[in-house]
Parts: sequence; structure tokens; C-alpha cells
Amino acid sequence: MATHINTDLRSFKTERTVARGLRRRFTLRGIVTVIYFCAVFTMLLAPLIVVIGGSFSAPPNDVVVMSYVEFPPERLTLDWYRKIPESQLKALGFSFALAFAVAIAACVIGVPAAIGLVRGRFFGKGAVAAVLRAPLQIPHVVSGIAFLQLFYLIGQYSGIYLQGTSWGLFLGHLFMATPFVIGSVGAVLQRFNPRLEEAAVILGASRWRSLYRVTIPIIMPGIFTGALYAFIVSFVDVPVAIFLASPEATTFPVELFHAMEQDFNPSSLASASLAALFAMLLVAISQKCVGLDSLLKSKSK
Amino acid sequence: MKARWGYLLLIPLALSGFLLFGSQLVFLKQSFYQDLAFGKTAAEWTFGNYIKIATDSYYLRTLWLTTYISFIVAIVCMGLGFPIAKVLARLQSRWTTFLLGTIVLTSFITTVIQIFGLIIIFRADGPVNRLLLFLGLSHEPLRLVGTAGGVIVGLIYASFGFAVMLMYGIVRTIPESLDDAAAIHGATKARILTRIILPLSLPGLIVGFLTIFNLSMGAFTSAALLGGGRIITLPVLIQRTMLIDVKYGMAGALAAMLLLFVIVLNLVSVMILKRFRATRGITV
Repeated sequence: MATHINTDLRSFKTERTVARGLRRRFTLRGIVTVIYFCAVFTMLLAPLIVVIGGSFSAPPNDVVVMSYVEFPPERLTLDWYRKIPESQLKALGFSFALAFAVAIAACVIGVPAAIGLVRGRFFGKGAVAAVLRAPLQIPHVVSGIAFLQLFYLIGQYSGIYLQGTSWGLFLGHLFMATPFVIGSVGAVLQRFNPRLEEAAVILGASRWRSLYRVTIPIIMPGIFTGALYAFIVSFVDVPVAIFLASPEATTFPVELFHAMEQDFNPSSLASASLAALFAMLLVAISQKCVGLDSLLKSKSK
Repeated sequence: MKARWGYLLLIPLALSGFLLFGSQLVFLKQSFYQDLAFGKTAAEWTFGNYIKIATDSYYLRTLWLTTYISFIVAIVCMGLGFPIAKVLARLQSRWTTFLLGTIVLTSFITTVIQIFGLIIIFRADGPVNRLLLFLGLSHEPLRLVGTAGGVIVGLIYASFGFAVMLMYGIVRTIPESLDDAAAIHGATKARILTRIILPLSLPGLIVGFLTIFNLSMGAFTSAALLGGGRIITLPVLIQRTMLIDVKYGMAGALAAMLLLFVIVLNLVSVMILKRFRATRGITV
């Protein structure tokens, strides 16, 4: 009986979908939706298109006008890519390494924390969860000055100065990034059936083995999602890094920020385009690995 | 044998707790000392910095400006983003992945790059202003840098992708079978939207609104680059007080004010949300 209704419903739905597909192009609603989407996505992408387009544009004449970018470009050139200052390339590499390290470390801390939070039964769990989630609520600027002052204080007492070093940036970003891993892994764990693990133990696997062979593979999409968000948090951050960075250890967004505050130079457009290209690659990889849909679904938790 | 999963939390909790309380307590303590010259602070505790904030209308006006700007940004992001999120969550087409990818991309790119592009687009002789002048819609070029409107536009660019991603996740958790059930009973598309999707996503939308509002209250990049020293929001003021004026006490007090404001706002809204869920019986 139940299957009968089910098939009926499905065929009804298919017919409806087909009919809707045939009609869709011609309804007023469809036209308005398409226009709305075009308008919003054009506005959303315009800055990026201008940056990438501008990075290929040659100055209009031989009198080099540094502060001039023609868009749309009339003559194309790769000059700006050759002229990217070394400091920006260095910062781009540094940002990449930092974000990678932060993503790994956030997983090392966040995955056990998520397992403990979801499975543990103990007094004060709510408070523990609140402490672990707190960084999400703190405005980034506040985290920035808080860490700078903490590092000053640690330096005064121990002589180890963390401000302006890559370790300082690492700690600051780790603080911001870990809750994302805890959130996404926790979301997957809550759906996970502990019986699977028990079955593995009954069949003779040790606890570690069942963890490695059963639990970890199942929560892998959650770990990947969390690691990706951790990477992004570190890779795009300005408000924390601007307090903790120094000429020796600067992330790319901060370097670009200072470059924009000082003077305009089209080679900044070129390095920004490289960063944007890398971001596109990252989107493609995440679509391939977990799918954008599940990436966003575990974010809402 | 009962596994004691709680022990897994010991190390993460110790580290997070140290980073959280260590950093927050240090700057809160610092905020009770008066600033002397060259980044030195006086030895005794006072409420001087807080009294100055409460009595000097400059600081209160900055807080008000930041609140006002963040409110508009959150409204616009949620309002413009919801139709996009709703359609994408229900659309089955080869375009879905591409459009979702674009949305995700905008939040994978640092705001600095987007602002860079915006400044070029809105330059006095840039494409937008040439079009406006040509059409006679405006007599002088539209300015983005140094205006409140510019800061708002910049903050919207910084949060829009995030807002759509958030709302996409919310709409995706509403089973599509509910739409179908309503359609079978003769509901129009508009009615499905107003009677099913909106009520079910409302708690999530409120949380989303607050998230965007919080983000904008603490957002530094857009406000610093587009404010141009004329529109100074609270995060920019905190950064300047700290790094340019080297007044650690005052910067700490301002940061404490921002933190307190955000926390109180969150607590109040959690309370409202709980009552809301209790009365409507919605569990999302």
C-alpha cells in the first residue's frame, strides 16, 4: 500500500517537473528570476572580473602611467605579473603555508574535541561547549588586540616574544579556526550510528582499530569541510593578522592591504589575481571531494 | 568497559581555554589602566577609560554609526540573498553547481581583493561613473571612498556570499516533500513560500541575520579601506587607537565595549528565539 502511494507520488512529481520544465522559460516568474540572478551575480563578480581583467591591461602609451588601469583592457600584457614585488610573492607563499598548518592543527585539536563533545557524558558539558564555541562570537578585531596584548605579556615574563612571528599568527588563526572543525565534525558525528563501531569491536577489532577503520572514514567529509573552512579563515583574515604581522611574517591579505593604503600599483592586481585563481582551484577541489551541497549543509549547524 | 570519551576533550579544552581566557583577560585588565605617553600605562586601576567612553560623545557616535551600518548591511544581505538561496536550494539544473561555486568563491577570496575591484569600478573616471554621467542620472561622480554608503557597499560584498551559504543550508534542511504535499493540495508557489518555507526557516533566518550583524560590527577590512579616514567605525577606531595612537588601555576599553555589545545582543536574541520556538512549536 505504502509503496503504491509512493510510486503515484513520484510519477505525479515527474509529470509536474516535466510540465514545469516546458513552461518555465515563458512564465513571468521565470523571467524575473533569471533577470534577478543575472543582476546579482554580475554585481557579485564585477570586482573580481575587474581585478583579473585589469591585471592584463597595458598602459595606454609608453609614458608609463603607473596608477592607471584600463578596463576593459585595450592592449594585453603580462608585464604586471613579471613585476609583482617579491614581498607580495613571499606573503602569498607564507599565507598558503600558514593556512595549511592552521587547517591541519585545527583538525588535530578539533576532531578529538568533537568526538568528546558528542559522545561524552559528564558534568559541565554545556560550559565546555560554550568555551569551545566562544571564538565564533568574539569580533575579529577584538581577538586581534587581545592576542597582541597576550603576546606582550608572555614576552615580558618569559622573554619569548610571539608578536610579529609566524608562531603568533599561527596561534591567533588556530583560535579562530578550531570551532569550524568542531562544528562540522560534530554535525556528522551526531548522525553517525555508534552500533557500527560496536559491531567492529564485537568482531574483534581493538578500539583504536575501530576508530581508524570505521569512525574516521565515516566522519571524513566532516573533517574535510572543517579543514577547508579553517584554511579559508586563515587565508582571508585581515583583522587579526594586521595586529600580529610584522615585515618578517606577513600574510598576503595584510600585505595587499598595506599596498592599497600606500600607492596604487597594477602588479598588486596581478598578485590578487593569483590568489583568486587559487581560490577557484580550491572551490573546484571541494566540489570534487565532498560536493558543494554537503559543504554548505554542514555549515548551517 | 565503558569508553570515557570525555577525556578526549582535555587537551583541546586546555588549549582553547588558555587562548580564550588568556587573551580576553589580558586585554580586559589592560583596559582599566590609564594611558601615559609612548604605550606606557599608569600603575593603578581606574575606570577612567570607560568613563571617557561613556561621556565623550565621539565614542558613542562611533558605536551608533557602526550599529546603524551593520544593521543596514545585515538587512540587505538577508533580503537580497534569500531569493538566491531559496531558488538554488530547490533548483535541479546543471547551473546549480556553477552558481553555488560562484557564491562559495566570493567568500574564499579575501575582502581586500573585492574592495580593490570596487575602488576601480567606482573611480571618478571608472565605468559606473561614466555611465551615470552619460545617462544624466548624476551630475557629479558617485564616490565610494570616504562615504558611509561606500562602507556599507563594501561590507555587503564582504558578507553576501556567507549570507547566501548560510540560508542555502537552512532551506536545504526543509524536506522538499513538504513543498510537494502542499502543491498536491493545491497551494500556489507563492503560498508554499509564505506558508511553508518562510515559517520553517524563520528561526534560522534570525540567527543568520545576527551572524551577519555580528560580522559587520567586527569587520575591519572594508571599513578601513573604504572609510578613507572620514567614516570611522568601531573596529577601525580600535585599530587606530592601538597601532597609531599606541593607547593600549583605551583600545582595550573600546574592544571591551564592542565585545559586551555583541554578547548582550546575542544573549537577548537567544532568549527571544527560545520563546519564539516555545510558542510556535518549531524545531529546526
